[in-house]
Amino acid sequence: MRLALAIASFVVLIVHGLVFYDQFSNRWARHQTAYFEQARSLSHNARERTEMETKSPKIDQIMVTSFGETRVDRCTTCHAAADDPRFTGAGDPLRTHPYSEAMGDVFRNGRWERRHKFTDFGCTVCHDGQGRGLDTYYSHGEDEFWPEPLAGYVTQANWRKEFVPHLRGKAFMEANCAQCHTDENFAGTPNVNRGRKLFYATNCYGCHKIDGLSEGTLGPDLTEAGKKYKIDYLWESIVDPRANLATSFMPKFHLSDEDVTALVIFLKSRRGVNFAETTLDRYKAHVANIAVVIPPGTAGEKAGEQLISDRACTACHKLRDKDGGVSPDLSYEGLIRDDAWLMDHFKNTRSRIPDSVMPTFRFPEDDFRAITTYLVSLKTAPAKAAPADTFKTLCARCHGEKGDGNGPIAWYLDPSPRNFTNAPFMNSKPRERLLDSIHNGVAGTSMPPWGKALDDDQIKRLLAYVSDTFTKEPFKPLKPRKVPDTNPVTMSQPSIAAGEAMFLERCTGCHGRKADGKGPNSLDINPHPRNLRNSWFVARLSDRRIFESVLYGVQGTAMPPWIDYGMSQQDVGNLINFIRSLNPKTPGSAEKGQTYAGR
Amino acid sequence: MANHEPEAATPRRKALIWLSGFGLFGSAALAAVSNLIFFKPRVTYSPSALFSIGKPDDYPPGTRIAREVERVCIVREANKMAAISTTCTHLGCIVALADTGFSCPCHGSRYDQDGNVTGGPAPKALAWYQVNLAPNGEVMVDKNSEVEQGTYFTL
Repeated sequence: MRLALAIASFVVLIVHGLVFYDQFSNRWARHQTAYFEQARSLSHNARERTEMETKSPKIDQIMVTSFGETRVDRCTTCHAAADDPRFTGAGDPLRTHPYSEAMGDVFRNGRWERRHKFTDFGCTVCHDGQGRGLDTYYSHGEDEFWPEPLAGYVTQANWRKEFVPHLRGKAFMEANCAQCHTDENFAGTPNVNRGRKLFYATNCYGCHKIDGLSEGTLGPDLTEAGKKYKIDYLWESIVDPRANLATSFMPKFHLSDEDVTALVIFLKSRRGVNFAETTLDRYKAHVANIAVVIPPGTAGEKAGEQLISDRACTACHKLRDKDGGVSPDLSYEGLIRDDAWLMDHFKNTRSRIPDSVMPTFRFPEDDFRAITTYLVSLKTAPAKAAPADTFKTLCARCHGEKGDGNGPIAWYLDPSPRNFTNAPFMNSKPRERLLDSIHNGVAGTSMPPWGKALDDDQIKRLLAYVSDTFTKEPFKPLKPRKVPDTNPVTMSQPSIAAGEAMFLERCTGCHGRKADGKGPNSLDINPHPRNLRNSWFVARLSDRRIFESVLYGVQGTAMPPWIDYGMSQQDVGNLINFIRSLNPKTPGSAEKGQTYAGR
Repeated sequence: MANHEPEAATPRRKALIWLSGFGLFGSAALAAVSNLIFFKPRVTYSPSALFSIGKPDDYPPGTRIAREVERVCIVREANKMAAISTTCTHLGCIVALADTGFSCPCHGSRYDQDGNVTGGPAPKALAWYQVNLAPNGEVMVDKNSEVEQGTYFTL
């Protein structure tokens, strides 16, 4: 018992001693002692030698009051020789901060004179890092939760390994230079200047707002990007936009590493009101940039062409050689859409394609008209070519080169492009319907009518090509099913109510309670369940087709044959009445179905 | 347990008691010492008492310049420099430079060029501070160390 007490008390003493040692023995003190010793041996005058002998280590700090909130920079506690020119060749931390003519330092009378004096600027104004920290982990900003690690020198352990090599280099400090040197062509910040140009050249400004530079509303506001995000996050968001937000529809721009670096440095420099600005300056810049100036005198098509490039349409859409990689090709727009369609689509993008991801931009009416005039004038049909080439030019963007409905922009389309390798689906539909889809498009979806761009013969050969190349299984003629051509159940309030009850009971799991195709199971189902409120699509559906799809299922999809579950023709008739009642009589108009009250 | 042990403390028992006492009192002493150390802050947010006033060339011979922020007057004569406090020794007002030396605006204390009291309620002369040349060629004033009146730093 007494032995245990003796041991325990000794353990307490040892632990206590270790804590004491840890608290009162500091690395910075050792660095300073080393500095005093070396300075003494380097010194040529007796006064300094005695001074260095008597000096004891203490926390050295610079109070910086001229740059935003007061900073307390204790960097010189370890980097004691930062301003001592005798330590130029020494190792860290006892090394002279380099002198640089580019930074404005001058060599005069055998001595370097700094342009940015440490006593005025401190360290963190340029370098970032945590000025108050007294060990490298905190002061250099290695801590995951410190927003500004030493720019270009320190990366944090949680950063993605493949990005880390890109995030080193003193060029990243330019973002801090630009806090005061705001001149657009300032020679000291080539990357910031390049990034600013790229922000326009790569159409970033179309979606992102930076107060005073751009007015985009689609993506996040980047006015304070430099304050909110670390460089690894900025890099990741540019290189791999969906890494942070799975639903992001920002395209991958496939920029070179130099360009991404420039953009990251530029964005890091955007911190709202910077040191050199006042709130009034910022407001003036904001007012001056609100109106994007369209050069006067350009009218009609020319203006439209100009606007398409000014408004960054090609950040998403494809137009000839410019391709944003998100949205459909506009090169043949004059053949597939008309004035009314385009104007409707501009004013409310979901008026024609109810599940379109395209935002409704608030441009002036005249701009929309000019863009429409220009787009409608694009009437040059693609050159006649072999079906394989036609498929590549017109279809592969959505349906994919392998015909699996997984084209480069398929992710952004709702409903998804048809998967042609889905043989059960492809071979359960009459040829006429597939030909019609190509010729007249599929209303309410992104499938455009190709009838004016391709002649009937071309369309037939194209379908044959798709069928041979992707579907592979040969098409067997279908047996006609015994379903009525038109709905035998008359539209009436009781019928709609019965249809609704049936719908809520049987259909909502996939088609959703709102019948918008977004039911709880819909996420796992491909192709996705149909949006039954897509009035353009529903208007084109014949009663016969709904009867077939409901009673006999849609082969190759998750839609089961409901006849197996005891659904009668009467039930389907009620369902049809219910679905039709959800949609306006004329698609696009706000008016709902005739007799469906209260919905 | 106690029943099986003899009444008198054995040497082993004594040693153990001493050891436990040493351990416990040792850590108590350490705790006390560390608490006492924490009484004095390692650093405060006040401006540093050791500060740079720029290059010697900024002060041509014959200059007497009062620096408001740091409350010192920089005196340069030929190749000698000194820093004299401009805080009045009476109640701590900032003394102004006058033709005859320094004069305090608050209660009319007067000092000569070297800071000696020549009139008014001031009880003692103005302090002189240590002036040094830093390795980077800038003049450093150290308000922590006072020097004797008339001690100039030779450049």
